[in-house]
Amino acid sequence: MQDTIRICDIEKYYGNGAHVTKAVDRVSFTVNQGEFIGVMGASGSGKTTLLNMLSTIDTVTAGHIFYGDIDITELSEEQLSDFRKDNLGFVFQEYNLLDTLTLEENIMLVMTLHGRKREEIEKRCSELMRLLGIEEVRNQFPYQVSGGQKQRCACARALANHPKLLLADEPTGALDSKSAQTLLETFTSMNERLAATIFMVTHDAFSASYCKRILFLKDGKIFHELIRGSKERREFLNEILDVLSLTGGERSDDE
Amino acid sequence: MMNKLAFRNVRRSAKDYLIYFMTMAVVTALMFSFNTLLFSEDVQNLFQVAGVMAAMVGIATFFVVLIVAWLINYMVRFILQKRSREFSIYLLVGMKKREIARLYIRENLLLGAGAFGAGMGLGALLQQILLSVFYSMVQMDYHLRLEFNSYCVLMTAACYGGCYLLALFRCRRRFRKMNIHDLMASEKRNEEIRESHEKTRRMLLPLSILFLLIFGIFLFCWKDWNTGVLLFFLTGLVLSIYLCYMGISAWIFCYVKDKKSGVYRGDVLFLLRQFSSKVKTMSFTMGTLTALFTLALLGSSVAFMFNHFQNQMLNSKFPFDVQLYSEQADDDFQREIQLLKKETKVKELYTYSIYENGTRQVNAWLYSHLKALGGDYHKADGTPDWEGIEQTVDSVYCEYDTYMKLSDYNRLRQMLGLSKIELEENQYAIHLKERVLKETGDFSKSLNIKGNGRALSFAGYHTESFSQDGHNGGDYVIVVPDAAAEAMRPYYAELAADIKGEAPQGLQDRLDSLDPDEDEDEEGEDLGNFCCGSDSILVFSADNLVRDNLILESKYMLCSIIFPLFYVGLVFLCVALTVLSVQQLSDSAKYGFRYRVLSRMGCSRQKISRMILKQLLGYYMCPALMALTISGIISVYTGGRFNFYTGVSAPGAVYFLLSAALFFGIYAAYFILTYVGFKRNVFSTLQ
Repeated sequence: MQDTIRICDIEKYYGNGAHVTKAVDRVSFTVNQGEFIGVMGASGSGKTTLLNMLSTIDTVTAGHIFYGDIDITELSEEQLSDFRKDNLGFVFQEYNLLDTLTLEENIMLVMTLHGRKREEIEKRCSELMRLLGIEEVRNQFPYQVSGGQKQRCACARALANHPKLLLADEPTGALDSKSAQTLLETFTSMNERLAATIFMVTHDAFSASYCKRILFLKDGKIFHELIRGSKERREFLNEILDVLSLTGGERSDDE
Repeated sequence: MMNKLAFRNVRRSAKDYLIYFMTMAVVTALMFSFNTLLFSEDVQNLFQVAGVMAAMVGIATFFVVLIVAWLINYMVRFILQKRSREFSIYLLVGMKKREIARLYIRENLLLGAGAFGAGMGLGALLQQILLSVFYSMVQMDYHLRLEFNSYCVLMTAACYGGCYLLALFRCRRRFRKMNIHDLMASEKRNEEIRESHEKTRRMLLPLSILFLLIFGIFLFCWKDWNTGVLLFFLTGLVLSIYLCYMGISAWIFCYVKDKKSGVYRGDVLFLLRQFSSKVKTMSFTMGTLTALFTLALLGSSVAFMFNHFQNQMLNSKFPFDVQLYSEQADDDFQREIQLLKKETKVKELYTYSIYENGTRQVNAWLYSHLKALGGDYHKADGTPDWEGIEQTVDSVYCEYDTYMKLSDYNRLRQMLGLSKIELEENQYAIHLKERVLKETGDFSKSLNIKGNGRALSFAGYHTESFSQDGHNGGDYVIVVPDAAAEAMRPYYAELAADIKGEAPQGLQDRLDSLDPDEDEDEEGEDLGNFCCGSDSILVFSADNLVRDNLILESKYMLCSIIFPLFYVGLVFLCVALTVLSVQQLSDSAKYGFRYRVLSRMGCSRQKISRMILKQLLGYYMCPALMALTISGIISVYTGGRFNFYTGVSAPGAVYFLLSAALFFGIYAAYFILTYVGFKRNVFSTLQ
């Protein structure tokens, strides 16, 4: 099955009566297995709401989201928790690492909660830390390492259980430019070498240029789509900037 | 404007720190109701020794004020840290430190005043319960009536205000020292886990356990307790309570770091890390809580001991309605009999003599064998130290063994509703306290009792309660045939009376005042016929005993031990539980993101609820278990000793189990409140 995730006509309204806000308005698209897809848009365009619905953190007002044959909009809360545990990985701007655990333990925890065996946990943990370059700080606590290292640890944790989809919400938002670049290269490597499917929400054109496909969101609707194809990253970045200049970029916030 | 701000802040604080507010209200209610016992005119009029209760409640109040002041101080600091960001904003907008300090103190006083008001309302209810319990304990009727003595309210307010003054004393200084940057940083400051020398620190846990073990063994086996040994163990106990928590945290750290197999099981890793980081940063507070729990448990265990004594032993202490002693063997008690006939309806009166024949066999045997009397009358080879016994001035036993005529004995038995006993001409019996016989076993073979010049043979023991604290002998009396007693010298005179209905109040005082000679006891001691038996802890030794007067006074005396102990125990428990609960509830708001992360990892609400339950259980059980262990060891030992000295027949552990049950009842209430609040806080962040 090529279409891993199908988003069909989803809508999300907030408020009631005369004060209804449409955060996401009849959005449909598909995410293919092994794809690295980005969603761009100004603040308030609905991109985080879209990610929250995809990640089962928020519910849809209308429409369906299919992961393979499973319609997650039909699942109970208990089933959603299990679904999240088995299929999804998260990377957030604020890292969301547990401050009482070391970096290694943060990665281990998702696997112990999954009920995996000790040998498997140890093997996978070492493999991920080596891949993401955080082996040397494995025994450090989050407050003892840099933002970039924290975020790479969050990535390793997100990938630990071989998720069907890795969801990233502004993952470079709190990083300096060098760490941001390293992280994005890590995403590319995860996508290419581990065939991880990545869904990234960002308002930063530089970050978006690492994606294979970008959806542009405005006022809750998809208004444009860019596919990188065989283009160089720099060329793709220019294309993104062109689209952004058409929409007025970040200024749409204030309107 | 500032008043409005203070009022709003208080409303918010009261909501955030509901448990603190509730505890302060409960403490006020407890203070008010216990103070009632001090000021109640009814209580004062009823008892001669009302001052005892005042003194005991006074001592209890001293400890209560100290510990409540500690709670307020702790909470003031705690809330200050939680609201540091808010205070930094006040500073930023130009408020002076002095103004902020005043605002904060005003808020605290408002919160305190609110809790005081609520507490007084609750106190009025608690007062009724307490007085009902009190009167039912002294077996008197109580009719519900609100006692609103202005002195009582004043004293409660003074104690409560004293707590606040003590606690807020240092608050202003804290404000003077603060700056905007520190205030902003203090809210963000996490529990940074600094790990150094954990492997060495880990040893503190087994060392603490080892110390407790040695303490237990010493307590039960070591006989020679002196101040040095006591100080060593007290210091050791305090140290082991505090250091044990460092050990626990280090031990968990090493366990997790060494990646032991348990770490790979489900949520164990998360829970262990949460627990160890909390214990590490809170080790001092946890130690203090453990100490408070231990004291609360010990206090209520001792209270249960006295309560049990009151229920089981008191009536048997005074089997006769009236029992009088006269050191003059030929006293006919005429004045006393006249007074008794005037003031009571006498059913039966009986005067008799206790005899002696110049021997000290039983005295010597008991002096040298009873554990209660220690090894004072033992020689190194185990034989009685006759010189020591002869020179003794402790009045446990009379100078000579005490004898009673068979006919007198049977008459007294009849008065008590017991069956008569029969003795052959050459036989004797011993009436002994049950507690003493339990300890000594049959010792008749060591005796050579003679009557009328010939040896008498032993015919048996009798152990019914028989007024043997100096009246019918001390601990024992030897019953001999009348003919044998006739050949002996009368030692002292006794009168036993059975009266209809209850004895009037103050009868005993009036009987005492018939003999204005204040030195009568000394006279008795000079004559060698005054004794009080080997009972200890609670001794009832008096020339004149009027049961109805004495039971009331004794119960009041016992209540003045039991009530303050429960009072201190309850307050300590509530204070400690409040600190635990407020800490956890505030953490649930501060560290809500941890559960949000777990939820995103796929932990269902049910699973998170289970994790919260396990986390709270660990956190709540740790100081409780430590306190239960320490107080358990001490209580079982003390209970055993108490039973040994008083003759109460209940296993030493019973008192401890009763007090543990009470402890866990209150514990469970706080735990459930915290668990519900914790879950609500966490799940609100998951929305």
